[in-house]
Amino acid sequence: MDMENQTRVLELAEKYGKDNVVVILGGAEAEASGLAAETVTTGDPTFAGPLTGVQLELPVYHIFELKDIIPEDVWDEQISMMEMVLDVDAIVKEVATYRERIGG
Amino acid sequence: MTNPVVKAASYCLFHAPDMVLTHGTTLMIERDKHPDSPLLAAAKEALRPFDQVVAYPPNQVYIGNLSPEELAELPQPWYENQVEARRQGRFGEIFPQDELIAMMKIADSFSLVILEEGFAHSMVEKLATHPLFTEQDLANLRKAEPLPAINELLEKGIAVPLEFEGKVVGCVKQAHEWDVNLRADVMFENLASKATGAWALRHLLWSSGLEPGLVEYIIDTSEEACGDMNQRGGGNFAKAIGEVCGCSSATGSDTRSFCAGPAHGIVQAAALVRSGIYKNVVVLGGGAVAKLGMNSRDHVKKGVPVLEDVLGAFAVLISVDDGKSPIIRTDVIGRHRIGTGSSPQAVVTALVTDPLSAAGLSITDVDKYSVEMQNPEITTPAGAGDVPLANYKMIGALGVKQGAIARTELDSFVQKHGLKGWAPTQGHIPSGVPYLGFAREGILSGKLKRAMIVGKGSLFLGRLTNLFDGVSFLVEANPGRSASASPEPEAAVTVGITLLGSEHGLEEVLRGAELAQKRGRNLKVVAIGPRCSTSLEVVEANSEEDQHRIMEELLKTGKIQACVTMHYNFPLGVTTIGRVVAPASGREMLIASTTGMSAGSRTKAMQLNAILGIATAKALGIERPTVGILNVDGALTTERSLRELEKEGYTINWAKSSRADGQAIMRGNDVLAGSCDVLVTDSLTGNILVKMLSALNTGGGIESSGWGYGPGVGAGYEWIIGIVSRASGAPVIAGAIEFAAEMAKAQLPKIAAEELAKAGLMEQDSADVVRKPPSKVVDQEIPGIDVLEIESATEALWQAGLYAEAGMGCTGPVIMVAAEDLEAAKQKLAELGFLNV
Repeated sequence: MDMENQTRVLELAEKYGKDNVVVILGGAEAEASGLAAETVTTGDPTFAGPLTGVQLELPVYHIFELKDIIPEDVWDEQISMMEMVLDVDAIVKEVATYRERIGG
Repeated sequence: MTNPVVKAASYCLFHAPDMVLTHGTTLMIERDKHPDSPLLAAAKEALRPFDQVVAYPPNQVYIGNLSPEELAELPQPWYENQVEARRQGRFGEIFPQDELIAMMKIADSFSLVILEEGFAHSMVEKLATHPLFTEQDLANLRKAEPLPAINELLEKGIAVPLEFEGKVVGCVKQAHEWDVNLRADVMFENLASKATGAWALRHLLWSSGLEPGLVEYIIDTSEEACGDMNQRGGGNFAKAIGEVCGCSSATGSDTRSFCAGPAHGIVQAAALVRSGIYKNVVVLGGGAVAKLGMNSRDHVKKGVPVLEDVLGAFAVLISVDDGKSPIIRTDVIGRHRIGTGSSPQAVVTALVTDPLSAAGLSITDVDKYSVEMQNPEITTPAGAGDVPLANYKMIGALGVKQGAIARTELDSFVQKHGLKGWAPTQGHIPSGVPYLGFAREGILSGKLKRAMIVGKGSLFLGRLTNLFDGVSFLVEANPGRSASASPEPEAAVTVGITLLGSEHGLEEVLRGAELAQKRGRNLKVVAIGPRCSTSLEVVEANSEEDQHRIMEELLKTGKIQACVTMHYNFPLGVTTIGRVVAPASGREMLIASTTGMSAGSRTKAMQLNAILGIATAKALGIERPTVGILNVDGALTTERSLRELEKEGYTINWAKSSRADGQAIMRGNDVLAGSCDVLVTDSLTGNILVKMLSALNTGGGIESSGWGYGPGVGAGYEWIIGIVSRASGAPVIAGAIEFAAEMAKAQLPKIAAEELAKAGLMEQDSADVVRKPPSKVVDQEIPGIDVLEIESATEALWQAGLYAEAGMGCTGPVIMVAAEDLEAAKQKLAELGFLNV
């Protein structure tokens, strides 16, 4: 997760409180999505950004996990094409692993 | 309105391993933050030497030696499965870093680049024969300084080093004391972009044969900005690059849109040509030093070599319709509008399916899509995946959603319409344009009907907008309906030269070959001979026999269109037409003929020599060549036989002797005066004349002027093989190569056939035809047969069931047979009295 996004997540969590923030990822690939999920839960594993050593333990989902709660027409317009292209199962599995580690 | 066409495309790579460490942002930042970072040492260790960079399959695709389809078949990782390392390719060249540094010096107009003396002088020597460097370039390179002077600038902190193999060989100075936009590191980046863009343009001009003066507009689409602190990004790279390439009639400007720049540039060029504002527009982009080693952190971590070790550059020529080259459909332009949105779906719709459906086309009507053609071996270890593959899947998935293909056809769509990525991650360099060269060739050969080029850019990187960007265009087969009057750059001719056999050594021949290459814009010279140090492409052959065998093979397969060699036996009926400078007048004169034999009988041969000489003169563009006959034995008979042809309607433009009688019979004085365009003689006398006239200024040891003994020509002979002698010097060899190239371009065999037909000399004597045995490879010579009996001797061997060919060796007539027939043939010839035992 790049530095700027880490800063923004940290600021939002501090401003609104951990319990009022949910992180939704749009990563196109399992490994990168997993790294992002790890960063906002147990801290930046690359030890490079502001979330290094910061355990926010925020609930984190990939957008593919939220199909049920998104209006069908919006899904169709914004996501359905990429749903065909990307390895949805691998991405969801990877993100869920980190969420489950914090008991989410 | 004319259709804009893709007239030519060049692609070059520049190896820059030291710059990865000193000027790539990833490692530069690492050094600033953690000077002792283990990454720095590990990255240095993981850099590749030049030969591995050349042998890296994706790089060979970039310069055109491998196709993207061939790349897809090669096992990965490609860095462990290298291919033949060839610096030059159909589309461009891979340059080592020392040459890149020399280019930066040559491209520098403000004395900011300072090279160390020893390095500069070694580069002058190295680049002296390279066709993309001029005498003026070499003179610029010679302006160098001793190392202490450079070290002083570096110590003062007002320059950044130019390093080669870890050693300082020069520096780039700051261009202003205070101005951050003219700092040394900024000038370094901009000069690297300028130099690499300039050499891509030089390659384009050289390979397409377009005169630099005919370029009217240049669009630079790189990702650098040049300007001072009051106008950062003021420009203009385009004109700066045109200046280095001699495009004195051109103007130009810079177009920027991150990676989408090149595609925007080509759409603009197409519009400028279609509107009639300009006839020849070049779109180009130089390399980005900052992106070197961009993903080196991940590469090092995963044990992959630092693959981002080259700068990329390209240049594309968009011209008015020639009725042949692929056209750019200006009515099918995909565009990402400000209101389009940035979801992948919206982007692909705007760039691909919208323009296609507006033109009534489906996604399957486009044979190949060229998207972000990044090499997946670079991006996958960095977590960005296979970028082209992801793009093809998106296009296919959109096709599924729109009902153009079935869900089950998605994979096969990607296979059929996609390509494996090969371009270095230089931002704008991989973006759509790398395929234009292949698309042009594929469409010209009929293999492809249309290709779509898609360029995309991430505008958020500039922090002014979160918008995305992209533009696409369609390249299609030329309908050929509006062939315009634009001057056609001539097609390049490839000419071979055999290296072994000269009395002056291989170096002399090579010098001649390199000279021809340097002078010839539309010429590619291929050396056939032992491996040696040269910028020419070498096809390996280690003996004179091997050379001739390979030469014939290359001519047969069309890899070369002509060849120059020595000591080669032509079949009977083929003779060579030499070309010399008459010393008293400086006039060019053809000597018909100089080796080989056009017929067994002397007067018949001289009659044929006259016609073949006229054909060669016409191939040189002399419409009504004057013909004189050298006053040798048989001259008057030859004149009578030619006057007979005239009576039957064949026109001969007779020359007049410089002597008082003004007759068509030429004396020794006329040879010196060059009184005719075509001097008819028997071939042995002609051979002596060429030797004397070519070596006139050297006292005889080395032939230093003229074009050599000329191409072999005769009824039904299809090859163009030019002859030089073992005594020919480099200037004659260069001349012979150029002469052969001219003959290939003019299609000498066709002109000769027409001329012989006009003279009524095509028919073969049909009486007493002896059936030839099946042909064999004949590589053994039997000398010692009288020239008048050579045809009968050959036929006598045929009658005995032995395949044989009559030929003319350097020292006289020979009969050539296969090795296994040699003894039997000699015996037969002795039996019949042709050969004295």
